[in-house]
Amino acid sequence: MSCDILVITEHWKGRVDAITYQMLAKGRQLADSMGVGLTAVVVGHQLGVVVEALKVKGMDTLLIIDDPALEQAGAEVQAHVIADAALRIDPSLVLIGYSLVGMEMAPAIATRLGVPAMTNCVNVEILGGELVVTRPLFDGTVHAKIALEGRGPALVAIQRGATPMVQLPAKAASVQAVTVDVQAIPTRSKVLEVIEESVSEVDIAKAEVLVAVGRGIGDKEKISIIEELAESLGGLMACSRPLVDLGWLSRERQVGASGKSVAPKVYIACGISGASQHLSGMSDSRLIVAINKDPNAPIFQVAHYGVVADLFELVPALTEEAKKVKRKVAS
Amino acid sequence: MKIAVCCKAAPGAVTDVKIAPGGKALHYQSEFQVMNECDEYALEEAIALKRAYGGEVTVLTMGSITTQDILYLALAKGADRAVRIDVQLQDSQAASAVLAAALKKLEYDLVLTGTQSRDTLSGVVGIAIAERLEIPYAFAVTQVEADGDKAIKVRKELGGGRYADVRLSLPALLCVQTGIQPLTYVPPARMLRARQQAVRALSLGDLVAEEQIVPRGYRFLDVFPPERIGQAQFLEGNAREVAATLLAKIKEVL
Repeated sequence: MSCDILVITEHWKGRVDAITYQMLAKGRQLADSMGVGLTAVVVGHQLGVVVEALKVKGMDTLLIIDDPALEQAGAEVQAHVIADAALRIDPSLVLIGYSLVGMEMAPAIATRLGVPAMTNCVNVEILGGELVVTRPLFDGTVHAKIALEGRGPALVAIQRGATPMVQLPAKAASVQAVTVDVQAIPTRSKVLEVIEESVSEVDIAKAEVLVAVGRGIGDKEKISIIEELAESLGGLMACSRPLVDLGWLSRERQVGASGKSVAPKVYIACGISGASQHLSGMSDSRLIVAINKDPNAPIFQVAHYGVVADLFELVPALTEEAKKVKRKVAS
Repeated sequence: MKIAVCCKAAPGAVTDVKIAPGGKALHYQSEFQVMNECDEYALEEAIALKRAYGGEVTVLTMGSITTQDILYLALAKGADRAVRIDVQLQDSQAASAVLAAALKKLEYDLVLTGTQSRDTLSGVVGIAIAERLEIPYAFAVTQVEADGDKAIKVRKELGGGRYADVRLSLPALLCVQTGIQPLTYVPPARMLRARQQAVRALSLGDLVAEEQIVPRGYRFLDVFPPERIGQAQFLEGNAREVAATLLAKIKEVL
C-alpha cells in the first residue's frame, strides 16, 4: 500500500486547467505533512505538451494513460481508466477539481473505488491527526467540517479558487506510462464534437466594472435599473445563472462555473445569493460590493462591502451618485 | 421512450442545524419541503421528451409520507406514475444504492436527475446511480434528442464556454442542467386531481440490505456559519448615504 495522494488532472487542447494546479498545490502540502508521496494522473491522447507542463509541478510521480481511443471516449470510460490506475497505487486520498468535468467524474470514480465522495469542498486539511474537509450545505448557509475516518481512503473534490494557489516546488517528477486496455472497456457513449462558444459582442471578462444581477431582481422589467447603474459607472451588466435559465438575459453575460470567470476592478452583486458556482467565477475581483436583502446570503462571504438593503432603493441611489460624480468631473 | 426521473424532496429554509449523535447525520428544523429545483428541470425535460417521442414518465423519490406532495406535483405536471421509497437518507452513496435498486425493479430507457440538491450540494447521486446500474451517463446536459430507437444525442456543458455533443446508447442516465426547459405552473385544480392518483410505495427491505445504507468512512465534526473570506464591512444608513460611501470606495480602485 503506497498511501500516496493522487491528483486527477484536467486539460484541454494542450493546456492544463488552473484547477489542476490548485489541486497539486493542496496535494503537495498534505503529502508533505503526512509523509507520503504525491502522484498525478493524466488521461487522453497525444499528451506531450501537457506532460511537459505538469511534470515540473511538484509531484513525485506522473502517470500517463495515453490511448487514441481515449480522445473520444465518454466519461464512463475515462472514469473507469482513472479508477483502475488509482486501484494500482492504492491512494489514501484522491483529489479532483470540482469543475463541471470533475463533477461528472468524481462520483463515478468514488463509486468504482468504493470510497466516500466528499464533493464541493472548500478545504481539506489535517486536524488532530485526521483528514478533515470543509464543505457548504443547505444553499451555502452552513459549513460543515467532516473527518475522513482512518485518514481515508476517500475522494475529495474542491471548488475552483477555494484553496490558495502556491508556488509549486520545481522538481522533476518520475514519469510513468500506464498501459490500459481501453478496447476492453465497454464503450457506451462517444464524444462527437466539442464546441467552443464564439467570442460575443459583450465581453464581460474584459470590463473593469461589472454590475451583476441575480434572482433578487424578481421582475424582468426591472433589470433596466441594473443596466443604468452599469452604464453610469462605465461598466457592463452581468448576471447569475438563474436569469439566463429564465431567459431574461443572454448567456454571454453569465458569471460562474458554467459561464465566464471574471476579475474586474469592481464587481457589484445585486440580488445574487452567491451559489458556489457563482462565487468561483468572480471571487478574485478586486473590490466586491454585495447588495442583498438576506444578511445570511453566501455572497457576503466574499464581499468587501455588504449592504443589507432593498435593491430598488439602493441601486437607483448609486446610479444618481455616479452621475453626480460624472457631472462634477465634466464641469 | 420510458423515462424515470429521480426527484428529491429538499428542505426549504433550514435552521438549527446540529450533528446527530454518532456524527453520521445532521438534525435540523425546516418548515416545508419542496421539489429540489434542479430535479424539477429534469422532470420538465422528461415530460418534453415524452411529448416529442411518446412513452411514459415515472417519477421516484425517497422519504416519509410528507414527501408525497412533490410526487403529486410531478403527476400534475404530466408524469404518468409515481413511486415513493419509504426511507430517509442523507448519505449520497446510500441514496444512490437505494435508487439504483429501485430502478432495477422498473423498466426504463432513460433516467433523468438534476445536477445537485440544495441541501447537500454534493451532486453525487445521479452519476453514482449510473455507475451502479452500469449505464452510460452525462452531466450538466442542456439538450437531448433521440438518435434512432437505441441511442440519444445530448449536449453537455464543460465549463468556460465549452460544450460537448455526446452520443449515448440506451439505457442511459442524464443529470440535466437548470434552464433546459422552462418550469411550468400547475393550476390548483390539476394539483387536486393529481392527489387522487395512486403512489406506489416501496420499502427499504424490498431493495437493499440495511448495511448498504450505513454511512461509512466519515463523521461530522462541526457545523457553523461560513467564515467570511472577504471580511465584509457592512454599511448602514439611508440609501443616499450608503450610495455616497460606496461610490467613494469604488472610485478609489478605478
